Amino acid sequence: MIPIIKFVVRNSNYVSWSSSSVTANGAKVLWPSTLTVSFCTNNNDSEKKPSVKKTSKAMKAYLERARKHEEFIKKENLEYQIGKRHLANMMGEDPEFFTQEDVNKAIEYLFPSGLFEPKARPFMKPPEEVYPPQKAAEFDEAGRPYHFLFYTGKANFYKLLYEVVENINNLNKYEDRMIRKHLTPDPTQAMSMIGSQWLPQDVLEHRLVEPLHESQYAAFKLAFDRLVSHPYSYRVRDFIEEYRKPLVNQVALQQIPEPQYDENGRPYVTTTNCLRKRSWAEVTVRGAGSGKISINGQGLDYFAEIQSREQILFPLIMTKQLKNVDVEAKVIGGGPSGQAGAIRWGIAFCLRSFVDKEMIEQMRLAGLLTRDYRKPERKKPGQAGKRKKFTWKKR
Amino acid sequence: MTVLGVIRLSVLTVPRNVSLYRRGNEEFLHKTYSSYGPHYVKPHVTTEKRKELIESGEAETLKLIPIKAALNYETCSVFHDELTRKFTNHVMRCGKKALARELIEKTFEKIKRIQLEKYHKTPEDQKESIIKDPVKILHDAISNSKPLLELTPVKRGGVRYQVPVPITENRSLFLAIKWLITSAKDKDRKIHFPEKLAWELLDAAANQGRVVKRKVDLHRQCEANKAFAHYRWS
Repeated sequence: MIPIIKFVVRNSNYVSWSSSSVTANGAKVLWPSTLTVSFCTNNNDSEKKPSVKKTSKAMKAYLERARKHEEFIKKENLEYQIGKRHLANMMGEDPEFFTQEDVNKAIEYLFPSGLFEPKARPFMKPPEEVYPPQKAAEFDEAGRPYHFLFYTGKANFYKLLYEVVENINNLNKYEDRMIRKHLTPDPTQAMSMIGSQWLPQDVLEHRLVEPLHESQYAAFKLAFDRLVSHPYSYRVRDFIEEYRKPLVNQVALQQIPEPQYDENGRPYVTTTNCLRKRSWAEVTVRGAGSGKISINGQGLDYFAEIQSREQILFPLIMTKQLKNVDVEAKVIGGGPSGQAGAIRWGIAFCLRSFVDKEMIEQMRLAGLLTRDYRKPERKKPGQAGKRKKFTWKKR
Repeated sequence: MTVLGVIRLSVLTVPRNVSLYRRGNEEFLHKTYSSYGPHYVKPHVTTEKRKELIESGEAETLKLIPIKAALNYETCSVFHDELTRKFTNHVMRCGKKALARELIEKTFEKIKRIQLEKYHKTPEDQKESIIKDPVKILHDAISNSKPLLELTPVKRGGVRYQVPVPITENRSLFLAIKWLITSAKDKDRKIHFPEKLAWELLDAAANQGRVVKRKVDLHRQCEANKAFAHYRWS
């Protein structure tokens, strides 16, 4: 079960936070509607009563579950609406025009969290997004399931695998026929997997309305890979492409900043927040230069190690801009390797404004424009370091 | 009292780099824990490699595939040599890469001095045969020291037989580097490591010396034990 935290705010507190009295009115308008929910659902129940004799126990249980879920979502929705109004009032904004984006901002401001994982931090979202959708009835009034794979527990998932195998078998039969006719598959129509990937696990889960285990997702990929590797797989192109997601060139989508001009008329570009390991850097690249490099006021000899110096020069050598630009960098935190990495990324990012598109693609291929998100492994309690243990003496 | 919405903690996500493979009748899950997604590929750092990609048309296919960041020792500099880097890493002890690199650079300087001296002493018509590039000498030394076979103990009927087995390219490279370094470390206390290593490399590059002898000895032993070769599969 996922733990739920309910934040209770006392009236006195929250009056002191926001001075307007509209907030109280807003709450009053919404409160009575909670009572009506139960009446509505009671009415629904009474309508179903005549068919009670025929329905099976499973159907009854399902109807009960569905009703409860609907009720629950309604209640959560109401709470969400009220919460949103309160948040709007607390932030001193109009509750009518308070969007989800504003809610996120307000939550981040009111409940600042130091937790590393963003998904573990507090959030407030509409209940439809938080609670997974539920399946409709999978069996008839007599309790007989509609789906032939109902008793696998994951009917939609196994149905998908079944379809894949059926397709493979059909293609095999087709291939046999073609071999008898001395025909070969058309190479011009061969399936190309470039530019797309299999649906990620969460998207697939959402589409199948079934939670999947990692191994089941792996089985999905394996089965589809087998189907794709069939020489006649292009005959089921539509079926395969339903389960593929196109890839996007993220680097091409990034906006390349136009160079600004300083008092001497030289173009320059600054990249802030260049990060690598525990280092932070701010890099400025100036055009029409002569290859001067200054790091925290020093030259390239700021780094004692040659490897770090090589890293600084890497993007400059690659783009052949070593003698055309000047580099100024401010760097703090971390060690020499991390600092050099941060500056390297900053220089590469700035240089995009000084080179042509082909060279930017080259830099991407060389891995200069990717941010290296790897972090030092954490220290563990009961150990001297991340992996190192304390000295162990038997006695 | 008023209730302020629902704020929940979601379950932490698990890494998604999962693949399924089969060994016999059993299925295994292979998980990799990486800060990059499953479809990221390694960067192509050297200029030649990138030129090749463009000529073969593979660069077009890579256009939509995300690339991992280049590692902190990778560079497209013409002075960078992959084998030298590998050798440096084997010389390195306790993660002191700067020291290891310094030792290798001193070795190269020594080699250069020795070869230049030799070059100036030789008569004019034979001068071309002398290699003056230390990196070239390192490459030659390693390729001359690489063994093809190895002896592994296999127990059959209570007796341990030394069975010759072919080794992979990687293992062969590792053994060559290891032999070169160990023979250079086996030295007089007054001689420095770079000096001894320079001599060893020059010897091996000329297809003589201790390391090449070690390789030849191993090959000879493998030849002598070739009657046991069938124990590898029976």
